Amino acid sequence: MSTPMDTLNTAWMVWDSLAPAVKGAVLEYTRELEKFLAEIERRAFRMAQVALRDSDDALDVVQDAMIKLTRNYASRPSAEWRPLFYRILENGIRDLQRRRTVRKRVMTWLPGPKEDPDNEAQDPLENVADAAPAIPEKLMQAEAMQRLEESLRALPARQREAFMLRNFEGMDVAETARAMACSEGSVKTHYSRAVHALREQLGEVW
Amino acid sequence: MSEQHRDAFETRSRALFQDSVDNLDFAMRSRLTQARHAAIEAAGRRAWYLRWTIWTPAVGVTAAAVLGVALWVGSPLGQHATVADGQSNFEDLELVASSEGSGDTMEMLQDDIDFYDFADKAASPDPAA
Repeated sequence: MSTPMDTLNTAWMVWDSLAPAVKGAVLEYTRELEKFLAEIERRAFRMAQVALRDSDDALDVVQDAMIKLTRNYASRPSAEWRPLFYRILENGIRDLQRRRTVRKRVMTWLPGPKEDPDNEAQDPLENVADAAPAIPEKLMQAEAMQRLEESLRALPARQREAFMLRNFEGMDVAETARAMACSEGSVKTHYSRAVHALREQLGEVW
Repeated sequence: MSEQHRDAFETRSRALFQDSVDNLDFAMRSRLTQARHAAIEAAGRRAWYLRWTIWTPAVGVTAAAVLGVALWVGSPLGQHATVADGQSNFEDLELVASSEGSGDTMEMLQDDIDFYDFADKAASPDPAA
């Protein structure tokens, strides 16, 4: 007959054998998550920058999305991370845009010098011309991208989101639908309208 | 808009976007890397109570305590120590100390009287003998 001490020893032995495996699994998915974030962070940042027109704000929403993903969804299968991340990111972008709208309304009622909140954090050195000679082709590309960004900002939020996720991020319709929390049919409609509107704005020669 | 034009537009816009991503300056790349590390670290800090390294000893001690209590309650010694039906141990004490004539007490008393009677007879010689 086994004594209570034998039972305790067995329990400890089982626990000791399981603990490293659990710790290893946690470490493994943390590493995988960091790899995933490293892979998408630049594209996500650029998308946020296109939507918000501000590098610092874009960086903030990207970091927020990273934190929320790692805190709340790290244990989900890695295949779900991308749509989840972009859903969090888009929510962050919309929240910030709403706050800006409210701030703008309040600022118009307040006395004093009127400032455009979008430009208040702008670094004056950013407007200084680069000393290196610009290659014409690069310049043309930069200009074309700038026009595309302006046209994207003019789109309704859902169309912009569908276009960026499908075209820039390369998501398929199903994944985009999960990221946008809507049906696949809606994704197709938003995307098609976005392409049509962009083509009209940018012209056939773009 | 023809399908061909549409494809060309999609390809060009994708290429331009990718180009702008690739040309992000070093400072911004570095800030993104810092943001990523901060996010991973912040998530780790918040979830400290979920870490197995912290829970391992705590869960072990709790399990040992629960097991100990279970074994104690299950053992005959533990059962004797428990009070059934809300009765107090003082009631048991009263029964033992009570001088009211219960059958057992009288029987014990009777045994003692017989013994003392026998001892008295054995000690003193029979006057008839």
